[in-house]
Amino acid sequence: MENANSSESSSDLKVVHRMTVIKRIIHWTLFLSIINQIITGMYIAYPFLIFGITPTQADSPVSGVLNSGETYQAFIMTWMREFHFLGAVLIDVSFFGWLYLAFFSTKEPLYKSFLPFGNKINEMYKMLKHYFTLKNKPKTGKYQDPLNAIIFTFFHILLLLQMATGFQMYVASFTGTSAVGAWWPTMMHICTDWTLLVFGGLTGVTLTHLFITWLIIIFIFYHIYIEIWRSIVWKEGDILIPFGGYKYSRDNLKEDESD
Amino acid sequence: MRKSNEKDKSAKEKEIKNNDDDSFCSDEHNNRIDDTTFKWDPLRNIADDPDEVLNIIDSHLTNLEKEYFNGQKDIDENFNKVFSASSVSRREFIQWTALLTSALMLPTIFAPRVARAANILTRTPFIWLDMSDCMGNTEAFLRTAHPTPAEIILNYVSVDYMESIMVPAGYQAEARRDGTIKKYKGKYILVVEGAIPTAMNGKFLTIGAKGKTGLEITKATAKNAGVIIAVGNCASYGGIPAAHPNPTGSVGLSSVTDRQVINIPACPANPVNLVGTLVEYLLVGKSPMLDSLGRPLWAYSGRLHDNCYRRGHFEAGEYVKHWGDDGAKKQYCLYMMGCKGPFTWNNCTVAQYNQDMSFPMRAGHGCIGCSEPAFWDRMTPFEKPNADAKIFMPAVEATADEFGVALFGAAGVGVAAHAIYTGVKKRKNNKDKDKDKDKEKEKDKDDKLNSGDNK
Repeated sequence: MENANSSESSSDLKVVHRMTVIKRIIHWTLFLSIINQIITGMYIAYPFLIFGITPTQADSPVSGVLNSGETYQAFIMTWMREFHFLGAVLIDVSFFGWLYLAFFSTKEPLYKSFLPFGNKINEMYKMLKHYFTLKNKPKTGKYQDPLNAIIFTFFHILLLLQMATGFQMYVASFTGTSAVGAWWPTMMHICTDWTLLVFGGLTGVTLTHLFITWLIIIFIFYHIYIEIWRSIVWKEGDILIPFGGYKYSRDNLKEDESD
Repeated sequence: MRKSNEKDKSAKEKEIKNNDDDSFCSDEHNNRIDDTTFKWDPLRNIADDPDEVLNIIDSHLTNLEKEYFNGQKDIDENFNKVFSASSVSRREFIQWTALLTSALMLPTIFAPRVARAANILTRTPFIWLDMSDCMGNTEAFLRTAHPTPAEIILNYVSVDYMESIMVPAGYQAEARRDGTIKKYKGKYILVVEGAIPTAMNGKFLTIGAKGKTGLEITKATAKNAGVIIAVGNCASYGGIPAAHPNPTGSVGLSSVTDRQVINIPACPANPVNLVGTLVEYLLVGKSPMLDSLGRPLWAYSGRLHDNCYRRGHFEAGEYVKHWGDDGAKKQYCLYMMGCKGPFTWNNCTVAQYNQDMSFPMRAGHGCIGCSEPAFWDRMTPFEKPNADAKIFMPAVEATADEFGVALFGAAGVGVAAHAIYTGVKKRKNNKDKDKDKDKEKEKDKDDKLNSGDNK
């Protein structure tokens, strides 16, 4: 059938399964928690809403002052931090799920796409070239294309950095033990204390955490743009992948045979 | 990291013990105070056998008293002399002892022993070196209008060498210092204040009649000291002299000596922390447990932000937005005014400054993080939130947000340009293709543009 297709024109559409349910859950968990992290994190970095009743800090959405009653009723920073921590836990679990699937997924181990071996680098350049010339569209079949794979890997490295810097800030308030035992802060110290040396103390770690947030925001916008772009230009329904798990393909998917 | 250093510490202590054989305690005690039988850990549990610890400490203190006093009468007189002269009653002194005992995280049973150790401290040989600094710690300790017992003890310690208050000068002063090093080898307390310049072989700081460099003096004195204490941020981590770009190559004391250094950072250091560390050293003949930055854990294990009395306002989202606004009058959180309490470990909120009266947040100004390494570089700007600090990145002079927004804007422009380019190109391709179709319909389409050839 494939041969028949290749002899014909590349016009007929095929349905290609790209994301399993688990991967889609990871995708949307990451999406929701990262949006949550950006909002709550920006608040923690720079509290743009101020609660409490004072005559000079009157009610004004412009100056970011809201009356919430007594001090004990507000606790906005507590909630922001609480949700930031909850989002962090979700991201961490999703990240490690992604890491596992990147190597041991039975469907599509990502490492096959992002490891710069063989013609992967070449394919990446082809895709980049295609972005700027719109010519010679590389085949995008069953697997992720190497350019996306590398960018997604870079994004997950950013997530890992966020985890390391974030846990370093989190463990700062521990004094050697915790409700679940001393192993928890000890583990965090072991895993994240290198950030203090690399980024210059806790303030440097904080600034790095904030700066990487911006890189992640940029990634999100790039990611959405490029998927919409693909959907429009290629007309293969790439934007549908994280929703239904399927996309269309009009390429001659010869690599399917070799699999 | 903190944990691992605690483990390293015991190893270091053994080293020190090997270094100076005739250390503070007599030889028999040296044998008895052994890490295996004598576990000194004020933060968690004192020891496996509390009675044994008390016995060891008592005999240790008795030995020290024998060494530095002439009998019980001398001990009592010294007590009275030191404290009555400064119009501190015995009652006040006992109160302070209780404060120090609890600050040291010791049980009440240690209070009388802390008092004895404080008394011995006034007779212990002492060398106070001043390196490149502003004498701020000396000033803070010695020039108090209404000194607390901590400051009085520091006034009365038997200082053998301290440039700011000693009578001898020139060659005499140096002879005094060398004499002390020889006479009390392995026994004297060395307190260093100020950073040590190392660039140009230390020539940025020369002291005394012989023009020795601070580097030489520190190394020579540290070699035979009983205990080495770096007081103030400069001596601990280089402080302001070591601020970027640090032309003098200033470093903290621990960088120039192999010996274990107890850091008492802050600008100036709290006298209670210095005296407490010395008292603990006198009690057990060991340095206290240190954190990864070489600070005594009993004083520097708490984060200011966690112990701040304004913490409730932080959690409630109530912040001072401008100096003197209503939030400031209501003592709201100073986070938005650049308080660096979340990044700083110290006990200011517990053992307060200015005769145990106040500390920055109580006075209405945020913490500047003066007990942390490189605070002059890392904690600035002092009166703006940390998010407003410039990021350390070559060729970038911007805050994380400014640079992030700039990058985001650049990416947005790039994306917009690419989108427009795609639109234009696609339209052109379609036109070309239509033309091509008209011209040569039969030609193979495989080498045609993929984009837009949907039929």
